[in-house]
This record gives sequence, C-alpha cells and structure tokens, in this order.
Amino acid sequence: MFNQGLSLDQAPPISVVLRFFLSVPFFGVLFSLLLIVYPADVLIPNHPTSLSAMHLFFLGIISMSMIGSLFQMQSVLGGKPILSPLGNSLIIHLFFSVGLIALAGAFLFHLSAAFTIAAVLLGSSLIYLVRLILPLLFGGVTHDTLRGMRLALLSLLLTAVFGAVMANSFANESFEALHEAIRTAHYSLALAGWIGALVIAVAFQVVEMFYVTMAYGNWYKRNVFRTIALSLILKTLWLFLALPYIWVFDLFLAAVLLGFGVTTVVRLRNRKRRVSDISIEFWYAGMGLLFASLLSHIVYLYTASALYETTALLSFALFSLSIILGMMVKIVPFLVWFHLSSQGYLQTPIMSNIIPAKQNKRLFVLFGISSVLALLSFLTPVLLSLSGIGFFATFALLAYNLIGALRLYRHTKTTSPRMSMDFSSPS
Amino acid sequence: MILEFMRDDHRVCDHLYTDAENALAAKNSDEAKRLFGEFYRATNHHFDMEENELFVTFEKRTGMVGGPTQMMRYEHQQLRAQLETMQKALDEGQYDDFFGIGESMMIMLQQHNMKEEQMLYPMIDRVLGGDAQLMVQTLKETA
Repeated sequence: MFNQGLSLDQAPPISVVLRFFLSVPFFGVLFSLLLIVYPADVLIPNHPTSLSAMHLFFLGIISMSMIGSLFQMQSVLGGKPILSPLGNSLIIHLFFSVGLIALAGAFLFHLSAAFTIAAVLLGSSLIYLVRLILPLLFGGVTHDTLRGMRLALLSLLLTAVFGAVMANSFANESFEALHEAIRTAHYSLALAGWIGALVIAVAFQVVEMFYVTMAYGNWYKRNVFRTIALSLILKTLWLFLALPYIWVFDLFLAAVLLGFGVTTVVRLRNRKRRVSDISIEFWYAGMGLLFASLLSHIVYLYTASALYETTALLSFALFSLSIILGMMVKIVPFLVWFHLSSQGYLQTPIMSNIIPAKQNKRLFVLFGISSVLALLSFLTPVLLSLSGIGFFATFALLAYNLIGALRLYRHTKTTSPRMSMDFSSPS
Repeated sequence: MILEFMRDDHRVCDHLYTDAENALAAKNSDEAKRLFGEFYRATNHHFDMEENELFVTFEKRTGMVGGPTQMMRYEHQQLRAQLETMQKALDEGQYDDFFGIGESMMIMLQQHNMKEEQMLYPMIDRVLGGDAQLMVQTLKETA
C-alpha cells in the first residue's frame, strides 16, 4: 500500500530517455529539408507535402521528445515504475520511428503500401505506449499533473486510432463520408488533448520548481483538464453527428489555453529566482507563440481564411517546440549529471559544463530567427525556405549539444574514479 | 497537516536559496554567503526533522524500514554532499561552480520535495491520523 513511487530504481537508464531525445534532431533535419525544398507545397493545408512535414514535426520532434520525457517523468510523478523500461522503450522507439518514416514517405511519394505500414507500426507503438503507462497512473495518490498525464495519454490513444483509420483511407484511396470529421477530431485531440494537456500538466510542476514561482491557482488546476476533456468529447460528438456551433468548443479550449499562457507569463515575471537562464526565454517565446496561435485560430473561425488556419497551426507548432527545447536544455544536462553522480563517479561534470550556456543561447537565437521567418512566410514561400535553413541549423546544433552531452557521459564513465556505493537497495 | 507544515518549510528553504543565488548574481558575495548559510542550516534542519522524528514514527507504525523513507534518506545524503560542495565553492570564490552545482542541486531538491509532497507526506498523514497535530507540535519544538 505504501511502497509506491519513491525508489531510485524507478529512474530509467539514461539511454531510455536519450534514445528518444537523440532522434529529435534527425526528424528535425528531415522536416527542415521539406521546408527548404518544397516551401510552397508545405504552406497549402492538406497538401501531401504539408501533411508529411506536419507529421515529421508533431510526431518526430514533439511527440518523440514527449514520449522520452514520459519515461522519465513517470518515475518522479507517476508513482509506479515502468516495467522493463529498456526493452519497452526500444520496441516503442523502433516501431514509432520506422512507422513515422513510412508515413512521411507515404505522403510525399504517394505510396499506398507505406500508409498501411505506417498505420500498423505507428498505431501499435502508440497503443502499446498508452497501455504501458496509463494503468500506472491509477490506483495511487492522485494530483493534478497526474490527471493531465492521463488525459494526454487518452487523447494520444484516440489520435492514433483516428490516424490509423485515415492512413487506411489513404492506402485505399477511398475516403468515407466521415473522413473530414475524423480528420478534425484527429488534430483537435492531438493538439489540445495530447500536446496541450501534457504541456500544462508538466508546467504545473516545473515552472514552480525550476524558477521558484507561485503555484498555479487551485481552481484552474482543478478545472483545466476537465474543461479540455469535456470540450474534446463534445467536439468529437458534434463532428460525428454533424451538429452546428462546433466552434463553441474551440472557444472553450482557447480560453483554457489563454488562461494557461497568461498565468504562466505572470508567474515567470514574478519568479523568485532571477539568475540568467535561457530556458525562461524559451518559455516566454512559447507563450507568445501560443497567444499568436489562439488569436489566429479565433480569426480563422470567423473568416475561414486558410492563411489564419496555417498561421494558427504554425504558431502552435512553434509554441510546442519552444517549450520542448526549453525543457531539453535543462533536463539533458541534469540527467547526465544525475546518472553519473548516482553511480558514484567522482569527476562528474557540473551541469553548466555538460552543455555550455552559450550553446543554449545560440540554440535559442537560431530557433527565434527560424520561427520569425516561418511566421512571415505568408508573404512569400522563399521565407519558408530560409526558415528551413534556420531550422536545419537549429536541429544540427541540438544534435551537436546532445551528442556532446552523451560523449561526456561516456568519457566520465571510462575515466573517472568511482566511489563505492554501499546504499542497500530499497525494498 | 504534515503535508502543509512540511510543504511550507520546503518553500521557506527554496526562498532562502533563491535569495542567496540572487545576491550572488548581483555580485553581493557577503550577503550571498550569509543567505546561503541560512539556507544550509534550514535545509539540514528540515532533513533532521524528517530523519529523527517523522520517518522514525512512520517506520514504527507501518513496519516499513527499507521503503520510501530509506530512499529519502539516501537522497538527503546526496543533497547534503551537494550543499557541502556549494559551500566550498562559495568560500573559495568559485562562483561559476556555485551556480553550476546549484542548478543540479535545485532540480534534485525539487524532485525530492515533489516526491515527498505528492506521495510520502500524504501517506504519513494517513498513517498518523489524529496524531498528526501532535507530530507537527513536536517538529516545531525541534526548531
């Protein structure tokens, strides 16, 4: 009854998390190449190239990082350990990566068989992931972050199911009457349910923890995930029943996300901890992009202009990337330090020497320039190509930073003297 | 009861640390040393309260000696070692090292606090039941 969630053994091996994180720049580079080579096509909503780029971004960059983070977070926040994290992460990562390459290729080169492969591999890896983690989030002490993680995983499950159905439609080039409803439900669940809920759930912990801010309000924490869940359920029902006023649910979702953004900015501005930290800039940039996304989406609801739809999606994508990069610049050095020091290596480098601050600042500058160019690309597709070059550099630098951290980890393990660790393992 | 009391104490420690860090960032090293000294004492006192009173009572009542409380003791040991290293860096004027070690100490401390606040303290509250008030009084007297 009581022995839950407090064992060092529950922290997964560093390779579990880094496997996912190191894949992010790989898919980031593929995404950037699409922006560079096919900028005009990427800007057309629902164009196959656009769909390829979008999935490389949201699955290969955002979801890849979020899945890696979930393996780590579960050990701290979830309360119960993930069984066989090494083997399970390997299977999920392999199926997910191959499935994503198949999906991106299927859209790009119109390959029917690749859609089927993608549906099987992506669908199975995501369902397996949810089946692995979701049951661990029930039965113990509950808190708001846990509720957010549950909602995120359930949304991911439904997103995957709808995605697999659509991949099957693309494979057979036969689109059922409900295709548009399924498509809208798919991206609403992915953006608000999977990404939105998980970012908010994590923010409840890390914003207060990393920057020593006031906690988010209890009323907001209690109701935010209920509102997102209810809005998504009703929106999905409305879509399938073809009922009017679906936009009302988007307004509820927008209000919740706006509340999150405003609260986060206020918390960060009044933070107690004032030392220079580039991750805060990533959070501010992320919140700015979230506001831009919400505004564009609301304008789109009233104008039905593709320009605002694209801008809303682009801003939301960049919002999530900003948060992911901001977290990575802190978490990766911490994980390297934590695993080395926990194993007793006496010459464990300090965090600021694992990824130097100036490298992280360069990452932020590259991200910022690339994002501005992407947001201005409605003026001319050339700007999206330039943005692609910027993102290529951003992900190359991210790869350099991550590989550097991993090399330092391995170097320390082979060269540093080690203290004998005589702490008996907890039961 | 225990949760609220100990959580508030965590926050007091957090604020003392950020005050010290902010003072050093503002190049006020004397003030930083004084504030870090306060943080050092407050954090060690917090660990002592847990190890000498709270965990012992929890272990006696549940019979769980090798469970979560042992892991918390192990983390206390790691954190104490980090505090010593930071104190040394501060005394020797190695301020970049102080900030660097402080970053990992802070994340580790916060993860540690999070586990206690979200899991261990609620468990202790359940185990102590009506005796929680008495325990808080005992903890206050150790100050």
